[in-house]
Amino acid sequence: MRLPRLLQAALVLVGVYLGFIVVFDYMLEAVIPGSLLTMYMFFVTVGVFMVFTYDEERTRELVAPIKAMVENPIYRGARNTVFIVIPLLVGYGVYSRTLPSFEAPVELRTIHPAPPSTAKIYGERVNLLTLENPFRHYQTDDPEIFAEYVQEGAAVYIENCQYCHGDKLDGKGPYAEGLNPTPLNFQDIGTIAQLQESYLYWRIATGGPGLPKEAAPWISSMPVWQEFLTEEEIWKVILFLYDYTGHAPRSWGEAHDAGGH
Amino acid sequence: MMRSVLAAAALALVPSMGLAQTGDMDRGETIYVKRCLQCHGEDGDGLGPAAERLNPPPRDFTLGLYKYVTSGFDADMPNDADLIRMIRDGMPGTAMPGWSDMLSQQDILDVVSYIKYFAEIEGEPETQTDFGTQVASSEESIAAGKLLFEDNDRCTECHGIEGKGNAIKKLKDDNGDRTWPRNLTKPWAFRASNDPRDIFARISVGIPTTQMPSFADPASKKSLSIEDRWHVANYVASLAKTEKVVNPDNFVVQGTRAEGALPGSPDDETWAAVPHSTFMMIPQIVGQDRFFTAANDTVTVRALYDTERVAIHLEWDDRTHSIPGDAKAASIADEELYEDAIAIQFPRQIPEGMEKPYFLMGNAADPVNLWRWSSGTADAPETARIIDAAGIGSQTARDDSGDFQATGSYRDGTWRVVMTRALETANTETDLQFEQGRFVPIGFFAWDGSNGETGTAHSMTTWYWLQLKPAASSKPLIYAVLAGLLVLALLAWWGGTAAARARRST
Ligand code: HEC
Ligand code: HEC
Ligand code: HEC
Repeated sequence: MRLPRLLQAALVLVGVYLGFIVVFDYMLEAVIPGSLLTMYMFFVTVGVFMVFTYDEERTRELVAPIKAMVENPIYRGARNTVFIVIPLLVGYGVYSRTLPSFEAPVELRTIHPAPPSTAKIYGERVNLLTLENPFRHYQTDDPEIFAEYVQEGAAVYIENCQYCHGDKLDGKGPYAEGLNPTPLNFQDIGTIAQLQESYLYWRIATGGPGLPKEAAPWISSMPVWQEFLTEEEIWKVILFLYDYTGHAPRSWGEAHDAGGH
Repeated sequence: MMRSVLAAAALALVPSMGLAQTGDMDRGETIYVKRCLQCHGEDGDGLGPAAERLNPPPRDFTLGLYKYVTSGFDADMPNDADLIRMIRDGMPGTAMPGWSDMLSQQDILDVVSYIKYFAEIEGEPETQTDFGTQVASSEESIAAGKLLFEDNDRCTECHGIEGKGNAIKKLKDDNGDRTWPRNLTKPWAFRASNDPRDIFARISVGIPTTQMPSFADPASKKSLSIEDRWHVANYVASLAKTEKVVNPDNFVVQGTRAEGALPGSPDDETWAAVPHSTFMMIPQIVGQDRFFTAANDTVTVRALYDTERVAIHLEWDDRTHSIPGDAKAASIADEELYEDAIAIQFPRQIPEGMEKPYFLMGNAADPVNLWRWSSGTADAPETARIIDAAGIGSQTARDDSGDFQATGSYRDGTWRVVMTRALETANTETDLQFEQGRFVPIGFFAWDGSNGETGTAHSMTTWYWLQLKPAASSKPLIYAVLAGLLVLALLAWWGGTAAARARRST
């Protein structure tokens, strides 16, 4: 037996709605803001409507139950109920909309904006497309010296970064809860594991204020490290970030294979 | 090598135990080098690179003295279980994280056997803390505990009458480092939780290496029986000030329309009924001349307004009343003494889009307003100024702060300050103009003058929001009824025509 089309459409909408709630509230553990959900559902509804009214026959099928209810005297009871319930719902909707909102405005920011191709760092313009970590080659050339540099990077990290990003590099430093946006979690496969070392260099050297507008530079508490650290210290702390988490930096080759990032 | 032989021998001695009770020191060393050395130092002396910037500093393991233990007050070593627990759960309020998500139980055992080796701790403690039978918390027990807490100045001597740890005298630990009695109303800063059982252990053993003494020691004039220690523990657990718990999901200060006149005094009782929001404050470690050891850690904010003015009430625990020029205040301060102060940060205009000024006192392109109050000195009264800030090092106090007012009051370890200003001013270019219902970015900075905090040395927050909630009105109801009626009319029309069409076609 086939479900009536009207019921199908309703089921799709309910399904998508619950899907959003499950994905955001339970899987991502970030309760979806009401205004965002409304916006998403608006587009979904428009989409579903377009699919279900694709040709005349489908449209007719979709509206048939509605038509029957309004026109056929047998369904008068149902019609009257619906005609009372709908205005009540609309009234309630308008009421809760016009009540002043106490929900803070949603701030959508890009967490990993595309980097500029060049950036001014330590007073010089550097080309981020060709920049490489000057210490990286020791990893294969001289593992002993490499281990020393990693250790030096660890010292830089503990002195400067753990307060926010955490001793365990999990973004849960002692002050993380007092910061919005929260410091990033380097253990997560969605951060440094996806990035090139030159990207990290740019982010660390220029900090929150160095971000482009879509990443809301004015709210990021990430300090501008070129004011506090030397170039070498930044490269070494980058070695440490990858060493401690066991991630590998993304290389240029991979970036090309994946069609850039 | 020698060590692992020892460990293996120890293991061989207990073959019947299914679970290894001893750790493997070599494995422990590997874990220590990767995860702990940065803070506790290569030689376990607590002199890792960040020691200077951490308050409290990392523990020196070479002395073999541990703070949060359940072995007897006269024992000379901790139980392994004590160390395992601190490593597993971490120590809130310090840089020491909990490791349970990264280290297995066996890993922790291994690293414990390694750190014990720094002080050559071997064997078992000779005595244990006697917990007796726990007295369940009740009104009577709490009342009895309160008496014992205050009696003979037992705990109040250091923790203060309200338990906020406000400075009464200068305390130093065995290392000569300044220590502060814990603020017992902020249980989230307890290193080992405020469960009565943990508090009981602290009262019984004291906190070794610090001045927090044992109250189980019969030699102490203030010692307590087991039952009395349970009463005190129940009382201390009851001190938790829940309105000062930070709710990390709340970003909004809800400004409420005042019923009567705006309360001008910070101690006015009307404030207690106004909705509050508590935000975490962190040291200024972002901008120039970073400062790592700020004292203030939260601020509790309330706001009221009427047709003319807005009043913002700020409350924060500050263990010292810093009065430059006052001999007693100077004797408690660590360094040079400055005034206590607090500032609210606002943008100059309510932002239209997402963009706001830089959260750390703005910048040249987008300056901010600071509403700053400072506590005054022995010779000068408190001050209230509006400051134009264009970056953390760039502040200009206005000669004329208009009708901006601020006044504060200090009592038992807590500052309360009220700041008020007209909702609208004549300087529409440089002053924020408030509007009902709009969300206004708001931030906070605080200075503890006895902790060397002045200029760029302070605690801070990132941006939050202030909303002056519009007073209740009948508009939403009217709109709702109109919309409902309109839809009803449309439906009735549709139904009517449809029915007519149906009749015609039959
Ligand atoms: C005051 C807190 C704070 C400190 C200290 C801090 N950071 Fe950050 N950091 C942040 C915040 C917040 C973010 C996320 C917002 C952003 O991207 O700017 C971040 C983002 C980053 C990113 C971007 C990661 C990504 O996936 O895009 C890197 C890399 C980084 N931090 C490295 C460091 C290093 C290295 C240090 C020490 C030298 C450090 N941070 C110190 C707060 C801090
Ligand atoms: C970011 C710095 C940091 C790291 C990393 C760190 N600790 Fe700590 N640790 C501290 C601080 C700070 C204290 C002292 C807190 C106090 O005195 O109140 C401490 C205290 C301790 C204590 C003493 C508990 C007591 O009851 O006195 C033990 C045990 C300990 N750490 C073990 C470890 C182990 C094991 C590791 C590695 C797995 C580790 N720590 C990593 C900072 C750190
Ligand atoms: C001579 C001063 C002194 C006296 C008296 C004193 N304390 Fe303390 N107390 C301290 C200090 C100092 C600390 C903080 C030690 C540290 O971690 O640096 C502290 C910490 C604490 C803690 C925190 C434990 C944790 O897990 O963080 C509790 C609870 C406590 N004291 C309860 C009491 C009680 C109850 C009494 C009375 C029976 C008392 N204290 C008497 C000085 C004192």
